[in-house]
Amino acid sequence: MADIGYVSLFIAFVVSLYSAVAYVFSQRKKNLALFASARNGLLLVCGLVTVAVLSLLYSLLTHDFSITYVAEHSNRSLAPAYLIAALWAGGNGSVLFWGWIVTILGAVMALQTRRSGKELMPYTSAVVAVTEAFFAITLITVGNPFVKLGFTPADGAGLNPLLQNPGMLFHPPLLLAGYAGMAIPFAFCVAALINRRAGEEWLNGMRRWALIAWLLLGAGNLLGAWWAYNELNWGGYWGWDPVENSSLMPWLVCTAFLHSALMQRRRGMFKTWSAFLIIFTFTLPFIGIFLERSTQASPNHGFGGDPVQSAVGWFFFWFTLVALFGAFWALFYGKDALKGGTQIEALVSRESTFLLNNVLFGFSTLAVFVGTFLPVILTYINGSQISISAGFFNSVNGPIYLGILLLAGICTTIGWRQASAQNLMRNLLWPAVGALVVGIVLFVVGIRQGYGLVGFIICGFLLLTIIYEWIRGSRARARTQHENVVKAFWGLIMSNRPRYGGLLVHSGIALIAIGVVGSSLFAVTKEVSLKPGDVETLKQYSLVYDRVEQSVVNGKDTLTAVISISADGKPIGQLRPYIREIPKTAIRSTLVDDIWVNMTNPDADGQAVFKMNLNPLVSWMWIGSYVLILGGLLAFWPDLNGERKR
Amino acid sequence: MESYLLKISGITMKKKFIIGGIILVLAVGYLGFMGFRSSASFYYTVSQILAQGDAISDKTVRVSGEVVPGSVEQKAGDLNLKFDVSEGGKTLPVVYRGAVPDTFQEGNPVVVEGSLDAAGVFQAKSLMVKCPSKYEPTVAAPVTNGIN
Repeated sequence: MADIGYVSLFIAFVVSLYSAVAYVFSQRKKNLALFASARNGLLLVCGLVTVAVLSLLYSLLTHDFSITYVAEHSNRSLAPAYLIAALWAGGNGSVLFWGWIVTILGAVMALQTRRSGKELMPYTSAVVAVTEAFFAITLITVGNPFVKLGFTPADGAGLNPLLQNPGMLFHPPLLLAGYAGMAIPFAFCVAALINRRAGEEWLNGMRRWALIAWLLLGAGNLLGAWWAYNELNWGGYWGWDPVENSSLMPWLVCTAFLHSALMQRRRGMFKTWSAFLIIFTFTLPFIGIFLERSTQASPNHGFGGDPVQSAVGWFFFWFTLVALFGAFWALFYGKDALKGGTQIEALVSRESTFLLNNVLFGFSTLAVFVGTFLPVILTYINGSQISISAGFFNSVNGPIYLGILLLAGICTTIGWRQASAQNLMRNLLWPAVGALVVGIVLFVVGIRQGYGLVGFIICGFLLLTIIYEWIRGSRARARTQHENVVKAFWGLIMSNRPRYGGLLVHSGIALIAIGVVGSSLFAVTKEVSLKPGDVETLKQYSLVYDRVEQSVVNGKDTLTAVISISADGKPIGQLRPYIREIPKTAIRSTLVDDIWVNMTNPDADGQAVFKMNLNPLVSWMWIGSYVLILGGLLAFWPDLNGERKR
Repeated sequence: MESYLLKISGITMKKKFIIGGIILVLAVGYLGFMGFRSSASFYYTVSQILAQGDAISDKTVRVSGEVVPGSVEQKAGDLNLKFDVSEGGKTLPVVYRGAVPDTFQEGNPVVVEGSLDAAGVFQAKSLMVKCPSKYEPTVAAPVTNGIN
């Protein structure tokens, strides 16, 4: 099977190169037969890489330990779901998976029938084909997942127990699919520049591609946060680790791009800026892979000097340079197409909130980039070694993100072009008053921490502007269409799904922000050694370590601590953190706060080290995540009615 | 006349945006600088920190090295942990108080953050296990010294 996989990848490399060249010539010579042949090539590559993926999967499922990758990332006792997850658990497997998604999306793109933008297809497809060729050559040279071990061990090394978690089934593939998805809008952009047609067809071709890639990447990051919080025995959900940063940066830039693309579509502005954003969105994950695999930047996620992965990382580095060079050349070549467009007419307008939003996203990305890469760059320049802790990222990004939330709120209520002061005041009045009331109530309740208070007021303001907008819109529609308010609300949302999907995403972000502000500024954490019978308090909660229980679950020794919790003297429940091979955290989660308890290092009498955290409002992060995904899907969902009408 | 007026208002608009932009850049630059000052620390290997001598005592630094096999002293049930880290043939004693990450293992690379005291012992405030790989092929040993 390994040979079939390798040969498929080899052929895929040759065919993708052919496709790229054939596409370019089909455009130059206006040769439709050549275009069709190139397109078939793109489809064939997808088939070939699929064969390679299936053969690796088959080897994993049948425990063919003569293949190094299979021996290193699985064993006989691994559950089938994690045998599948082993496909992306290793360095080479994740490159294969990423490349595979690119070929699938490339094939879908090639098969789509389009009403406009046909003239962009040859170069767009050529760029996708070159990307596919890059993945194929990486996989048949340094990153070959089918390398033979030379002998067949009786069993494989298995998968780290920390990774044997549902998070592993979805978090890496979502991120990789998000990275892969960015290839299509990037290709559209480069093609539009080479064709010198940076108009409507470019944006129509790629808006939904960028949106779905953004959604996949966002969902992947949020799921990673959830996984870290619930399973990784660390107690946090985001650590500003270089690997996390390199999946956050493309997401931030893509968020900025979605907004600037909207401006471009509605008002013909920000063309060059949009092109820059999509170029960085596409290339940042590649440079992130280089950082993760070829440098010593990441203490927690790195492939720590594995020479094979380091070589793969350098391939990604050179491809980043090639992609940037090519894209900037296209930008220069097509610069005339980017000229023109309208200027912002007024300082107080939706346009300027979009502009400011883009600038803030840019600054945030820049800060994350500097904080992530500066230590690495300094090491290369003068050998000096510094490390930058999470505090840097928090202190720079905190105010920037609050600014973005505030802008999102203002933007909801402000009109295009020039907003009249009177109109703006009327729309802002109720949300602003509401947010002020939220602030006063919180202050009275006893929340006096200034930064946190400002954070909650801004989140409240954003949510209220959106709710106010929904109410206003529904009532107006109910009047004009003679519908009841509920039906009118539904009709309103369906009438402009990109807009109301976007607003839903904004409210998801506001809810996530409430969780972040609450859990990062108001958390209580303790690390203590307790004997059975000992009591520890977290604010109003007392946690009594009752006893320890020993059992055998699935043939594995399990040690469970039983902890009774009471709030202000009233018993409210039990937590049972346990150790089975690795510690397993127990969490009591409510909408108000989470009590998070983890046990390590127990002695024979049950005395053990406990990490106990009280994390306020964390649940809102997960609720907000669902709202965000729902909003993204709403905005993405094809407007079938609209298409039929045309 | 009208186009002239437009031009004037265009310039002032531009000026407003430029002034706003400068204020923003300064604000973010200030945030970045302050964040950097409070969050950047020197990152040494064991041999590098020992070569510094007294020059860095009591400064917060990060040190990376390997946990020396056989050096780990930790009473089950206790918060205190003592171990040695080594790199480049040099060894540094470390004490740490707190919950130990479950991937902490003899022979594995770690990063400790803290300061070197007068007695030459590294007082670690945080302990990060440098997992040889997130996708580590060998199964990490469980931290269950108590019940085994």
